Amino acid sequence: MDLKSYNALFIVATLVLTLVAAYPVIAIVMPFQGDSEQFSEFWLLGPDHIAENYPFNVSADEMYTIFVDLANHMGCSEYYLVNVKFRSITQSIPELANSQPSSLTTLHEFQFVVDAENVWESTVNFGFQDVSIEGDITNVGNVIINGKVFPVDASTRWDFENSGFYFQLFFELWHYDVALKSFRFDNQFVGIWLNMTGS
Amino acid sequence: MSSWSKLLMGSLFIFFLLPVSSFCVNASSDNLVNSSLTEAEDAFASTYEIVLDAERAGANVSGLFVRLNLCAKYLSEAHVWHRLGDSANANHFAGLCYDLVEDLRPEAIELRDEAKKLDDAKNATTTFGSVVAVIVVIVSCFVVWRIFKRRYNRQVLSLRPEVVSDGS
Repeated sequence: MDLKSYNALFIVATLVLTLVAAYPVIAIVMPFQGDSEQFSEFWLLGPDHIAENYPFNVSADEMYTIFVDLANHMGCSEYYLVNVKFRSITQSIPELANSQPSSLTTLHEFQFVVDAENVWESTVNFGFQDVSIEGDITNVGNVIINGKVFPVDASTRWDFENSGFYFQLFFELWHYDVALKSFRFDNQFVGIWLNMTGS
Repeated sequence: MSSWSKLLMGSLFIFFLLPVSSFCVNASSDNLVNSSLTEAEDAFASTYEIVLDAERAGANVSGLFVRLNLCAKYLSEAHVWHRLGDSANANHFAGLCYDLVEDLRPEAIELRDEAKKLDDAKNATTTFGSVVAVIVVIVSCFVVWRIFKRRYNRQVLSLRPEVVSDGS
């Protein structure tokens, strides 16, 4: 090996050692983001606190319980909003392809802050009032959620294929965007189908 | 004009004025709720951003989250009551949220400033240490190179060409 080759070797070694020594400053200027995916996990649990036995056949003047849960995997704390909506089979649902929430009016809502890698949970007690069945149409007048009565105007026709009057109680997830300074639809929603069996 | 016709005119005037005044009262109460809701929302959002800054600077904000979540709960209640048309409850919960958030804000600011100061000090120490390390690495490598080069040259110069005797 001649002196020129040794010189090149020394320069490379110096550069590598310099990079190692400068790493703490580089880490401050350009923090390592990691390759882990950042997301919010959103789900519903049945009355037994498991993903089973969700209320399905429902009737007026009865109360039902489910749990709505969220896990924050966004890497830092997040401020969330969950909008609770109720719809008949023909009314609008969120369009996930266009990141559009449902155009239906929000009934109940939950606002909360969740620490990174923590889980939030809330009980949702719901029931129905003023349910009328006329022929093959069922109309729901009020939805009760956590003790509050929300007037709705949802009616559905008898579903011959699935034999029932179907409605959906669903939860839209929104999160606070610090840059926008407002809530943004998180493009996620969860819900349960309900078969209204009588008044 | 007789006193009877005056009374009739007055009654008619009040009769027509009542719905208008009721509409005005409703509108002003709705404006009041809207403004108290906006005030509570803005106060909450700005305090949340301060807490987020504190968290990013490395502060332990778990204690603040408990109280912040209580404010969020009040804010949700205010929105729900407003949607249900109950201005009194909407105002009440918006006020509770605002008061609690305003109590929380100085604490959050203090925590954020302390955490930022600590973070800045830590960054300054790290930067100083790193700069010193870089200088030491460069100087050491240069010195090692000089020594190596000198030894190498000495070694090369000490090599004498082999004298090959011509046998003829």
